[in-house]
Amino acid sequence: MSANQELILETNGLTKRLGGKPVVNAVNLKISRGDIYGFLGPNGAGKTTTIRMLLGLAKPTSGTIRVFGKDIRKERLAILRKVGSLVEYPSYYGHLTATENLEAVRRLLGVPRSRIDEVLSIVRLTKEAKRPVKGFSLGMKQRLGIATALLGNPELLILDEPTNGLDPAGIQEIRELIKSLPQSSGVTILISSHLLSEVEQMATQVGIISKGSLIYQDGIQQLREQAKGRIRLGVSDPESAWKLLLSCGLPADWDHGKLSLTRTDNRTVAEAVARLVEHSHLVYRVEEETASLESIFLEMTGSEGSL
Amino acid sequence: MIRMFRSEWMKIRRSVIWLLVAVSPLIAALFGLFGLKKGGEDFPWIEALSLMSVLHAMFFLPLLTGIYAALICRFEHTGGGWKAILAAPVSRTQVYVVKFVIVMLMLAATQLLLLIVLLLLGLSHGSAEGIPWRELASSFIGGWIACFPLAALQLFVSVAFQSFAAPLAVNVVLTLPNILVANSERFGPYDPWVQPMLAMIPRDDTYGYGAFNLPMETLFGVVAGSFVLFFVVGWTYFARKAV
Repeated sequence: MSANQELILETNGLTKRLGGKPVVNAVNLKISRGDIYGFLGPNGAGKTTTIRMLLGLAKPTSGTIRVFGKDIRKERLAILRKVGSLVEYPSYYGHLTATENLEAVRRLLGVPRSRIDEVLSIVRLTKEAKRPVKGFSLGMKQRLGIATALLGNPELLILDEPTNGLDPAGIQEIRELIKSLPQSSGVTILISSHLLSEVEQMATQVGIISKGSLIYQDGIQQLREQAKGRIRLGVSDPESAWKLLLSCGLPADWDHGKLSLTRTDNRTVAEAVARLVEHSHLVYRVEEETASLESIFLEMTGSEGSL
Repeated sequence: MIRMFRSEWMKIRRSVIWLLVAVSPLIAALFGLFGLKKGGEDFPWIEALSLMSVLHAMFFLPLLTGIYAALICRFEHTGGGWKAILAAPVSRTQVYVVKFVIVMLMLAATQLLLLIVLLLLGLSHGSAEGIPWRELASSFIGGWIACFPLAALQLFVSVAFQSFAAPLAVNVVLTLPNILVANSERFGPYDPWVQPMLAMIPRDDTYGYGAFNLPMETLFGVVAGSFVLFFVVGWTYFARKAV
């Protein structure tokens, strides 16, 4: 966690109630400059509602939102000037061409006209620029949406399910595009998704929301640690076996029940077994326990996401 | 505000909305062409104005107000435009005011086109002199001003409903009674939907609608009052609307 870095976005006790039921419940998001923040949760967990509040499209029932250190209730326009967004599905005017769509937004932002060609080439729509958007495929509309979000040279890019409804090739393309952004333009990105696998390859930070509550927020690395497999050892006397393994410098773990090795490479396993046998421990079982990121995600969010 | 306006212009520039501007003036032109008595005398300006503006002011103007409002909101509803605009650095008041101004400009264009049609018709009769500019101006500008409350209400309804049909239904329901209300001395003066007609048709008109013999102050009071009411309600709603 990059705690010493400047916080770009911070929410405190962010809550939204709809009909008395909390849709977003006391969420504390923390996003630092340069992060690619994967905002994860099953459908209906409150991701889009949270994002709408971040953009000032909906009002929180309680809690505060600070973006670039400014309160959204007081300095909404100053904040929005530096934020690009794509919420839920891309916004477009079907009767206009891609260029005209971008021009309509450009006039609101007041950026130079040359920026339109730049963003079109970033999302590789230059060739389609003169076609009416109503004839675009979903993937192209999605790319146009990202282009619109990028138009104002934002410092913070908020993308809500940007790969929703795309085919695998389209997902891959958008993923590559997003991955390339922070290096090329120095933006901070908040990207929401209901699939961990989709963001795990690009996110540096992960926040997981379930039933309106943020249940996990840390680096993707920390999440990977949890997901790593372990070797479970079934032995006659786990506690002394644990002490023995530790004294040999092996990464053993004992939770008063199960003894396990937290590294799973062959050498570690072989050495551990050799040591245990050497010291007359009875080794009953050596078995691998794996937990994928996805299964950890499912475990955290419960089964509500999978039908 | 100017940026907002130029952005909106981009969107309506190539919209079907412009075809509608011509509809009512064209129908009125037919009325004028076939309805007026042919004769060698001077072109009967006031009669032509009455004839051509009766259908226009009674139905088309109120209906078009609703259609324009619905159309400029429609592409925001269908394409998710509200989110994009409101997540841009513009205030909601700006957005609402600009949308309203656009409806009023479309109506002004409609009025202007009808006036041009009327003038052309008159000039084709060879009556370049004696054009009653005062009456024409007060009729067309008055009709336009009387549309303010209608536009305010229709914009509110169009912003509130995602569907295109709902605001139009409201519009039709409020406009159709004009046939009856215009004849009523009791209700006519107070129904904002009749005001465009009361304002447009010349007062010394031979058709003699019931609500005509009222002081201008009453009519303007109704127009201004209902406009403020509808606009404030719609604007307050839009400022709080979650999108």
